[in-house]
Amino acid sequence: MSAGTEQATKPIGELIIEHVANSDVIVQLSIGGFDLSITKHVIMLWIAAGLLVTVAMISTRRYRRGDITAPRGFVNFLETIVAWVRSAIVIPNVGAGHATTYAPLLLTFFFLIVTMNFLGLIPIFSYINHGHGGTTATGNINLTAALAIITFFAIIVAGVKEHGFFGHWKNIVPGGIPWPVMFILVPIEIMGMFVRPFALTMRLAANMTAGHVAMLAIFAPIFMLHNVYVGVGSVVMNVGITFLEMIVCVVQAYVFTLLSAVFIGMSIHPHH
Amino acid sequence: MENLMRFDTGLMFWTWVTFLVVLVILGTKAWKPMMNALEKREAFIKDSLAQANEARLEAERVAKAYDEMVAKARREAQEIVAAGKTTAEKLKADILDEAKAKADALLVQAGRQIDSERDKAIAEIRNQIVDLSLFAAAKVIGKAVSKEDNERLINETLQEIGQS
Repeated sequence: MSAGTEQATKPIGELIIEHVANSDVIVQLSIGGFDLSITKHVIMLWIAAGLLVTVAMISTRRYRRGDITAPRGFVNFLETIVAWVRSAIVIPNVGAGHATTYAPLLLTFFFLIVTMNFLGLIPIFSYINHGHGGTTATGNINLTAALAIITFFAIIVAGVKEHGFFGHWKNIVPGGIPWPVMFILVPIEIMGMFVRPFALTMRLAANMTAGHVAMLAIFAPIFMLHNVYVGVGSVVMNVGITFLEMIVCVVQAYVFTLLSAVFIGMSIHPHH
Repeated sequence: MENLMRFDTGLMFWTWVTFLVVLVILGTKAWKPMMNALEKREAFIKDSLAQANEARLEAERVAKAYDEMVAKARREAQEIVAAGKTTAEKLKADILDEAKAKADALLVQAGRQIDSERDKAIAEIRNQIVDLSLFAAAKVIGKAVSKEDNERLINETLQEIGQS
């Protein structure tokens, strides 16, 4: 990191933000006026996706062969997570009848987010472009917003598939209430439709960024005080925070997946 | 802060593309086969448990039937032995009775024969006594007595003999 030389010219808060933010454009790309430039977070997203696809495809060879016996080792571990997502997230929310339809989507959410989260914990990506710090792709609201928009459409598709196009929109407002209440309720429900994915976006991005901000803030006194004992203290504290972050990585992936499942489930089984 | 909240269409676009690619690849090639296997295994375990339970019930039923059969066979064997004993005893009694009856008959017959032989012998002795008497008397008298005297004398003698 080049923080030491910049320290004199920039306030520490700004440096921390720079370290958790996305890099500048690495490959300039624009199609039809849309900026599709490749940045550090795009590369991290691709690394995570490539890693996930590779590991998952190698691990699931036995299933494609039609082997139904219980696996051992890593595949068993992976299968335990898949079975847990299916039985603890998918089935209780969307129902056993729709589990096969929505489980792949929710499993992909969970595994892709958890892979990106953990990738953000590995501080080697500071070497991709411009010497910026070890950021997390899921700490970027653009990425989490894109994921939340997928959830947003999944909610609508699930409702329309189950109740028909008009049935779904009617379900947004609970029945059996006096009509004047509709004037309050309809805007609230329409707002809720957008607030849910927005909350998903902010929750994941903020949580994944917060850990890095905390770690950088704990490292900052080393550069401010130039004292080796402060360094020892900072490192010890950050080792602890890293372990905490590992929990956060799993929990936030779980929360995003769970809430997506809950919203899809609410769309399939509306309130009465 | 403006760095963190910067709107970035590139990242959004690539997130969608990447997510959909990962979803399609893993959805069809990894998650579906894996969940199929999980469901099949669940069904297999459920079936196996049901089968094991059925087999246990069947085994219990068979064991019960076997026990019943053994008990029945034992009862039958006992009956056969008892019947055999009765038959043997009856046979024994019959044989004994028959033997006794035969022996009795033989005894009676033998007695009768002895009686008849004795009577015959006595008659013969009687005749010989008559002849001897006549012969002796003729010798003693030196002449033959008349037939009437003869007869009277013999009968008197015989009576004496018979009385003695």
